[in-house]
Amino acid sequence: MKLKEQTVKTIMYAIGILIAVAALFPLAWMMIAGFKAKTEVLTTPFRFFPEKWLFSNYASILSDPMFLKSMGVTFSGAVVFAALSLIINSMAAYVFARLEFRFKRMLWVFVICTMFIPGMAILLTSFIVVTEMGMLDTMAVLVLPGVASAGHMFFIRQFYLNIPMALEEAALIDGANRWKIFASIFFPMSYPVFVIVGIGSYLGFWNSFVWPTMTITNPDLFQIMQFLNTFRSERATEMGLLMAGSTLAAIPTVILFLIFQKYIIKGIKISGLK
Amino acid sequence: MQAYRGKVLTGILAAVLMFTLVLSGCGNSGTNEGNTGNTGNQGSTNEPANDGNAGEKPAEKVTIEFWANKFEDTTDAWFKKWTDEFNKSQDQVQVKLTIVPGDAWAQKLKAAQAAGKAPDIMTMSYSGIAPAAKTGQIKPLNDLMDPTVFDDLYDNVKEFVTVDGQFYAYPKLVEPSAVLYYRKDLFEAAGLDPAKPPVTWAEFIEYGKKLTQKGIFGASIAQTAPDLGWSSWGLQHNAAGHLPITDDWSKADVMNDGYKQLLTFYKTLYQDGIMPKQQLSAYADAAPFGQGKLAMTVSGSWAMGLFRNDYKNMLDKIGVAPMPSIDGDQTKPTSTLGGWTLVVDGKSKQPEAAGQYIQYLLAGDPAIMIDFFKTSQFSKFSPRKSVDDAMNQDEAASADEWRKLIAEKVIPYAKAEPAYPWDVSIAFATAIESAMKGEDVTKALEKAEKTINDYIAKSKLAGTNPQ
Amino acid sequence: MKKNKTRFDNVTAYTMLIPIVVPLTIFVVIPFVYALYVSFYDWSFYQESQFVGWRNFINVLNDPLFMKAIVTGLKFALFVVPAQMILAFLFAHVIRSMGTRLSGFVKTSIYIPTIISGIVASVIFVFIFDYNAGLANVLVNMFGVENQAWLADVKTALPSIALPAIWLGFGITTLIMLAGLLDIPESYYEAADLEGAGSWTKMIHITIPLLKNVVLFLLITGFTGAIQQFELPLVMTGGGPLDETTTPNLYIFNHFRNDVLVGHSIASALLLFLVLGSISAIIFKVLNSEKAVDG
Repeated sequence: MKLKEQTVKTIMYAIGILIAVAALFPLAWMMIAGFKAKTEVLTTPFRFFPEKWLFSNYASILSDPMFLKSMGVTFSGAVVFAALSLIINSMAAYVFARLEFRFKRMLWVFVICTMFIPGMAILLTSFIVVTEMGMLDTMAVLVLPGVASAGHMFFIRQFYLNIPMALEEAALIDGANRWKIFASIFFPMSYPVFVIVGIGSYLGFWNSFVWPTMTITNPDLFQIMQFLNTFRSERATEMGLLMAGSTLAAIPTVILFLIFQKYIIKGIKISGLK
Repeated sequence: MQAYRGKVLTGILAAVLMFTLVLSGCGNSGTNEGNTGNTGNQGSTNEPANDGNAGEKPAEKVTIEFWANKFEDTTDAWFKKWTDEFNKSQDQVQVKLTIVPGDAWAQKLKAAQAAGKAPDIMTMSYSGIAPAAKTGQIKPLNDLMDPTVFDDLYDNVKEFVTVDGQFYAYPKLVEPSAVLYYRKDLFEAAGLDPAKPPVTWAEFIEYGKKLTQKGIFGASIAQTAPDLGWSSWGLQHNAAGHLPITDDWSKADVMNDGYKQLLTFYKTLYQDGIMPKQQLSAYADAAPFGQGKLAMTVSGSWAMGLFRNDYKNMLDKIGVAPMPSIDGDQTKPTSTLGGWTLVVDGKSKQPEAAGQYIQYLLAGDPAIMIDFFKTSQFSKFSPRKSVDDAMNQDEAASADEWRKLIAEKVIPYAKAEPAYPWDVSIAFATAIESAMKGEDVTKALEKAEKTINDYIAKSKLAGTNPQ
Repeated sequence: MKKNKTRFDNVTAYTMLIPIVVPLTIFVVIPFVYALYVSFYDWSFYQESQFVGWRNFINVLNDPLFMKAIVTGLKFALFVVPAQMILAFLFAHVIRSMGTRLSGFVKTSIYIPTIISGIVASVIFVFIFDYNAGLANVLVNMFGVENQAWLADVKTALPSIALPAIWLGFGITTLIMLAGLLDIPESYYEAADLEGAGSWTKMIHITIPLLKNVVLFLLITGFTGAIQQFELPLVMTGGGPLDETTTPNLYIFNHFRNDVLVGHSIASALLLFLVLGSISAIIFKVLNSEKAVDG
């Protein structure tokens, strides 16, 4: 029995490490490709490491003031975006998970339907709306349009549904109102879900390219993906620079992941049950 | 739990505070710290740092927006340099340049047009001019620029920018879409004469077979429908003498021997393994040839710029020749002349200022354009006679054999890009690709014929040809 | 659990919903209604727009390429979503049984691909599938198979662009799955152990039913995300070979980019909305039947 358990465990470990390596390989390749001259990124036969290590790609990106500036602007935008999105969407999630009110079904359908509207359908018309509101070339145009998200609300609600009624019924009997219950029971218990949704919102903001390109012309507000895409054109891609830039751009997010890592490892117990 | 809650609340408070700061800080951006960074960046904002202390500047300076597609780095740099020069050269007009990446150009431009926020000036390819003029998206330039500048254009290029007798764009350059590049050293090694590149399609295939070896493909040419859509126009003229649709755009015209031979040509190259089964790069990007993976490649004239900038050690081994012709007659067209122009938006509030800038940049001092052709390593060609005249005085330009060859042997026979909708081009390109992937040539053409006829009927295309 | 009596909290509910409903209305619903309106016109930005009735929609529906694109999108979703969910489910189990320190490393490493943008991921995978020197061909060569045209062969192109999609979404899917797994009370399993249930029985009777909320979410978002994928085929294949990887959004984008008027692309995007909405409604119905909102 003991032996069998040991074998299973070993196999599990092996699979885990194998998948981790497979997941990391393309990234490692990206990082290494940043050290290659653009003429060397793809050589026949396949070679993982460069023939000659080249530091000029990384150096030229780090010395470009645009890079650090757009990293800063995008990072602060993404953090604000994620925080706002958590507050707004968790509140709505709580309402749909717990409260009873008139037109609930209608409002639910209204919100959920927005999830299926393809971005391309409203690309032009939403641009007209933000233009009319005078939002072009501001941080608000990057943050506000996407902050209310039916998908994230839906996700948080699915977890709230698992929280036992008993917890709040006691509070209700004590005379606590809904706001208090949300703030003192649901909100604090949500942190594991918030880690996931927060990461999702953060990444959505970080990786967006088309919307910022449409709405931001002021170089002071350039987003990181706008910056990275200056290395791509139809006739030639600055491979080394693109790979080096993407590697450097990933660093703050990796650090953020490592910080939140411990919250994930501690165990994600949404329902508070043991 | 309690301690954690504290942290969350502080975090949210901080976030909200930050949000307010960011919004208020950036809402009126340009007034605060941002100014110092402007110099190196794209364009310059309307309120430069010196606005505060240089009070004598006239306030009525007109600002116009200019969006340029992202091209090679040298082109981007040239736009920036001469826009700055223009802004310094006079005190009535300030041009604000924005370089827009290709992946997002369509979205950014169409959204701006829909919202009435299109730039005053933008870059446009020749094939876009007629449809844009027909729908009022761009203004005629006859009254906005000195009419004599149009006399400087070569006649064929003048036609490219003319719709209903009016000039709707000023051209910057022309580029032939198909030129043959080959490796002289590999020709020798395969027992071929490096001074005699192939001139017929049959020779191209034959040489390609001889040149194919382990790790090096004999040849490459466009092989995906989106690339074939435009890069095959010249070869269609070459084989069939026309494009896949009648001149009045009333029906498809592909069921003939020329088109069959064209499809067979591509099919043979692909099926016989002369070209790779999967493209090594897009047609417009000739890097694999520079990296030594191909013995011959067909690409646009711009590839010369790539080789000269990035693959200097290969230059001695590279030969340049006109793209082979179906029967070896090198006076038949093999290329279309692609290229870029500047146009003025139909709703521009400052059309005169826009015209003034275009005249300065593209139609003024030949030295400005020569600077461009030099930085592009003479891989692009002038639509203006006076620039060519001046260039012939220039030592570097007149000594350039590649430039001479293309100017004398390719461009004179090249055709204009068609003005019909892209759907027609892609329908025919799909026929080429399916033949390459094994479909019977006649069947592939029949399918293209049907698709094109359906499209004509659906979009009421017949009789709408603006030329 | 039985409810005593239905208690209505209209005011509280509406107040708490304002922050989500108002932005959604302004930035999504109003533009959507506006788009619906202009889809009945030849919307021209410079001239008088012409009312054309249903013509834009009829043209789209008569285009065999649009139908093909919808099918391609569905096929793509079928490649990506189940693979991603099964892998994530198994892998979440693997992580759960690992020691904390090692699982920390493994978890972090599988989340990291999520931070790469679709365009950069496409560029990386174009290299992996390169005909001459790509890793994929290096690997198959080891087994004596000759070079494959992964992205140019009609048979392999779609699976080849599904791979980076799985790679990009795998981390976050696992994370969500793991959250769901850890949410299942340990006591359930202990009770099952006392009754002598095997691990298979436990999975069927405890794990899977209790994961339903998570699975519903992953199915809906995974499906809508996959069918709307567009950066991967745009950069990796351009929609080829022979339109085999033209997903609905790429089809729409191609028309958007190449057409003089935008009516065709807006009409096709609206039709895509119908497809997405109805398939999602079916998933909801099947999985969420006894947990309907008002029930």
